[in-house]
Amino acid sequence: MNFRGLTDLQMDALREISNIGMGHAATALSQLLDEPILIRVPEVRVTEVARVPAFLGGAEKIVAGITLQVLGDARGTILLIFPEEGAIQLVKKLLGAGQQDAVFDEISASTLKEVGNILASAYLNALGSLLHLTLIPSVPMLAHDMAGAVADCVLIELAKKGDLALMMEADFLDRSGVPSMLGGHFFLLPDPESLSIVLDALGVMP
Amino acid sequence: MSPNHRVAISEWVVAESPEILVCYGLGSCLGIAVYDRANRIGGLAHTLLPSQPRDDTMRRPGRFVDSAIELIRNELIYRGSLPESLTAKIVGGANMFEMFNHPVGTGVGTRNIDAARATLGKLGIPLIGEDIGANFGRSMEFDLATGEVRICTVLNRSDVKVV
Repeated sequence: MNFRGLTDLQMDALREISNIGMGHAATALSQLLDEPILIRVPEVRVTEVARVPAFLGGAEKIVAGITLQVLGDARGTILLIFPEEGAIQLVKKLLGAGQQDAVFDEISASTLKEVGNILASAYLNALGSLLHLTLIPSVPMLAHDMAGAVADCVLIELAKKGDLALMMEADFLDRSGVPSMLGGHFFLLPDPESLSIVLDALGVMP
Repeated sequence: MSPNHRVAISEWVVAESPEILVCYGLGSCLGIAVYDRANRIGGLAHTLLPSQPRDDTMRRPGRFVDSAIELIRNELIYRGSLPESLTAKIVGGANMFEMFNHPVGTGVGTRNIDAARATLGKLGIPLIGEDIGANFGRSMEFDLATGEVRICTVLNRSDVKVV
């Protein structure tokens, strides 16, 4: 299935499941931090692979990127991106204020991976039970580097199959509806082959 | 780094002195700079994958290491460069996530580097500089006035490496 041929109805259906999945992920984050976390209505966009780093805040922006493979009935990649400052805040909140600022040590890295694991599991559980699909997250991996470099590995898988990416994206907001100080972005990039499985489960195959 | 002509993922650009071509945030991607010192002209590619599949009909052959090198070489020759005056430098080819690509040496970063060496060897373009591998991202500037390639990383934000 080619990303180029998606209809408005199919895009709407993807936006809706993304909304539900992200809602669960935001609830999980909110429980973890013990503070309200909202989400912006998720965006679903089809874009050239080359333009993906721009949507991550620019190729040179320094981020903490946590990535997981989606395994099971449908495949894809989850990418959770926090600006460096947001990742430090997140680690401080979870581990206490004694944490070092500048570098990610082993315990900070492990904490961020666990956050990725919890959010991805919440998202995939919601999607899986809605669509009656088995969706399992892989072990999370972390890189602290330029957004472009972090996104590379994900884009490589997509680039093997075409030059387009389907991005399902959401931002976390705080109680007042402004972007959370953590500034996190959550992306799901389905494999082209898995898209028809998802659309079929949604009942919007042409 | 100064804002100059930016080469995004899967693009390749040929330009001449005094222009500066840049690739930001190379992870396992490979930046390939080919230079003709005599004419101060050169090309930079921002490649994702080692080699173009035989049945590839998709756009953007600049995604692939092998086809991007050939495209730049052909364009430089078309603009008057002699094949024997070309030299190359490569940057990137890291393996960003420790487990992403299974055993050491089989990651796509490594395969991109191998493909670049093989293609440059086949075309007789000497590889005269590199900053490759490891597990961190790089940004590169390719200065067409001098052929110099300057590299920045997140680990050493203030240090610029020159190859």
